[in-house]
Amino acid sequence: MPETTAVAEDRDESQITGKSIRLEGVTKRYPGQSTPAVDGVTLEIPAGQVVMLVGPSGCGKTTTLKMINRLIEPTEGRIVLGDEDVTAIDGDQLRRRIGYVIQAGGLFPHMTVAQNIAIVPKMLGWDAQRIADRTTELLDLVSLDPDTYRDRYPKELSGGQQQRVGVARALAADPPVLLMDEPFGAVDPITRQRLQDELIRIQQELRKTIVIVTHDFDEAVKLGDWIVVFREGAQIVQYDTPERILAEPADEFVESFIGSGAGIKQLALQRVRDVDLKEAITARPGDDAAEVLAKVEKAGHGHVVVLDERDRPLSWPSRRALSRMATIPAEADERTPVIGSGATLNDALDEMLVSNAGAALVTGRRGAFAGVITIEEVMDAIRAVRASASDDLADAPVGTNAGSDDGTGDEVAQDG
Amino acid sequence: MLWPSDARVAHGDIAETRPNETDRYATDGVSTRMWEFVGDRFDEIAFASVQHLSLVAQSLVIATVLGVGIAALVYRNGTASSLANGVTAIGLTIPSFALIGLMVAPLGFGVAPAVVVVVFYAMLPVLRNAVVGLAGVDRALVESARGIGMSRFRTFWQVELPIAWPVILSGVRISGQMVMGVAAVAAYVLGPGLGGFIFQGLSRMGGAGATESIVTAVVGVILLALVLDLALVALGRLTTPKGIRA
Amino acid sequence: MAEALAEPTAADSALRPWRPLLVQVAALLAAGAALVIWLVTADLTAVERETLNPDSLLQLLGQHLWLTAVSTVIVLAIAVPLGVLLTRGPMRRAAGPVLAVANFGQAAPAVGLIVLIAAAPFLPNGFWAAIIALVLYAALPVLGNTMIGIRGVDQRLVEAGRGMGMTARAVLFRIELPLAVPVMLAGVRTALVLLVGTAALASFINGGGLGLLITTGVNLYELRVLVTGAVMTALLALLIDWVGRVVEHVARPKGM
Repeated sequence: MPETTAVAEDRDESQITGKSIRLEGVTKRYPGQSTPAVDGVTLEIPAGQVVMLVGPSGCGKTTTLKMINRLIEPTEGRIVLGDEDVTAIDGDQLRRRIGYVIQAGGLFPHMTVAQNIAIVPKMLGWDAQRIADRTTELLDLVSLDPDTYRDRYPKELSGGQQQRVGVARALAADPPVLLMDEPFGAVDPITRQRLQDELIRIQQELRKTIVIVTHDFDEAVKLGDWIVVFREGAQIVQYDTPERILAEPADEFVESFIGSGAGIKQLALQRVRDVDLKEAITARPGDDAAEVLAKVEKAGHGHVVVLDERDRPLSWPSRRALSRMATIPAEADERTPVIGSGATLNDALDEMLVSNAGAALVTGRRGAFAGVITIEEVMDAIRAVRASASDDLADAPVGTNAGSDDGTGDEVAQDG
Repeated sequence: MLWPSDARVAHGDIAETRPNETDRYATDGVSTRMWEFVGDRFDEIAFASVQHLSLVAQSLVIATVLGVGIAALVYRNGTASSLANGVTAIGLTIPSFALIGLMVAPLGFGVAPAVVVVVFYAMLPVLRNAVVGLAGVDRALVESARGIGMSRFRTFWQVELPIAWPVILSGVRISGQMVMGVAAVAAYVLGPGLGGFIFQGLSRMGGAGATESIVTAVVGVILLALVLDLALVALGRLTTPKGIRA
Repeated sequence: MAEALAEPTAADSALRPWRPLLVQVAALLAAGAALVIWLVTADLTAVERETLNPDSLLQLLGQHLWLTAVSTVIVLAIAVPLGVLLTRGPMRRAAGPVLAVANFGQAAPAVGLIVLIAAAPFLPNGFWAAIIALVLYAALPVLGNTMIGIRGVDQRLVEAGRGMGMTARAVLFRIELPLAVPVMLAGVRTALVLLVGTAALASFINGGGLGLLITTGVNLYELRVLVTGAVMTALLALLIDWVGRVVEHVARPKGM
């Protein structure tokens, strides 16, 4: 498969990890407005990390995000991508190197999924075969079957699927940086949770630099390596890890923004993949039910996990259900509690409480079965989180409103 | 027909002799002659304007009654509604000059074909908007009206029509603008109004006062359209219930 | 059609709008045939025979179509770029006044406009006078719908395009204009219908076209000539409208 190698090589060239971003004293003033919309923001975004910009609506977080790819031109200040000052380069060229995702994906309704994804590669002059291969690869990456979805129009997709295509489109030319503006704002809570898990999984694979604007603090805690809390005029109130913002909010503003239940929110900091999963007996459709039942009884388990040909869970019948079957059925059971390995313990708990089993199936890459998580693991994790409230003391990157003169002193941490 | 080209030659000769001066002279001349024309014929113009406006206004009243009436009959029935919409679309596609010509066959010349054609065109936008407006009234409102014991007719008159009225009225405004021009064409079959000045000018093309006559009619119709539209806006203010005003 | 039939669901939804279109064209053809039969079987006077012979009818029809076609091309060439321009950057501020003036001008009676241009000094006569008047008269719907169509494109899509590094020109040609096509085409169809109807007035100023039958019919009180002209003009307008609908249906971007 020579094509695959070509794509892999290309990825090596442009580095799998993202590039760092530095805003130095970036200000945006609109004519006729007395106070600047964004006032002298100096912000360091470490390479390969997810940084969440949160704050009340109208606080300037979206303006800040759009100044990174210069969709909004800053009035003052510098933008540095990696080692390169991009403040004055051609804006269109800059944006082709930065992925951009907006609410509901922003897919062009008159283009198919494949055409949407191909836009940036085409502008970069890729040949048709390379674009086609890349499209297939990306659809796979965002868990959409390429053959089914390639030629569909956006209106033939659900909201969540559109958002996935939006992410695939932003990743098309393998940009080091991904900017997302309220990406999951327009989908229902269940889909939002799935998409968040998916993003976490993709980020594990790609290690891009991702900047996400959200007004949902829970989303920020779940997705962010770092969180920047803004107040009006893009004043940075706190820039720190989710753990420490939850444990030590800088002031009352941050506290009120976190809202109640900071303790339970810390559960959202723990991922399912950080917990030891239990193994399970698995079976395939068409297997002899009696044989499977014997295996399950021998292992002392209560259920068997039925997997399809790509190891994705189909159903999770109990011993009692097994005893009534002749062969294992191929139908998928929609009630099967399934959770991605990137999901938080909070989500896992939710899913378990819904299912009767008090447990959930965990899936990893491409939806393949990875193990079972039970309520006991979650309880253990809660105890552990309580014990170690905030002992990891990573140095926070710079984030101030000091203005451009301060921008050169780069490696100064905000405070210990 | 030689007169139009004759007229052009005459103008062309003057223009070629001394372009700049003639231009200024021509401008002065045109505006002077224009005012003279209006001054001399003021009574005639005023009379034609009133006739034009009254033809349009009366036709609009008839058209509104007819349009709303037909809409009231069809808006609850899908097939009838789409039939009405089809008639509207076809009617608006037929050129007014063609229809005026057709009407001469049964109705002869004069006021009769003018009124019929103007009413016909005026009715179409009203009908279309009335169907849309009435169909757009929240069914829950109608049900609650019926629920408190209002009769079918009372529901229509006191609930549905007032709510649909702004949409219907915007149809009436479209009609007003449109039939101002239709009424001008109707003068060709000797209908009343300002259109007469256009055809007078046409028949004397190149002669004295021809252009002035046409300009009078065109400007007059535009002004009348403006006046009528303002009047309809004012009518809308007066007749739209406060609670649903935009 | 073949493409639409490939997928059963797509064909199903595509078939429904075709049915009324087929009914319409069948009705038009039937009306046209009825007119021809009436003309062939009628007992015509000498004048009528002279005016209504197939050659001269076809000539007038050709003139009428030519008037319509030339003015349509000019309208498109002027109004579409102007409409696009009035949605760009600083020009946007001029959009309101331009539309207001255009709307105001639309109230001018078409017949007055045509006759006035022919009467005005330094302006052409006959065919080109008619063309100027037709263009002035029919530019507004195309101009307006171009602007409305482009303005109606979801601004987030424009931003998404810009955010991906598309140039302003690429966003215009690959996103804004394709998405504005349905609204723009509706404007073009409206303009076409206006043009066919207004072209009938060209005969007043020696511009030719089917209107000549109507004016001749009125002047000589030849009702058969009059009716023939009126019916042919009406049928032509309906036919052009039908063609416009077919084009709108075919040119609608897929996926919308």
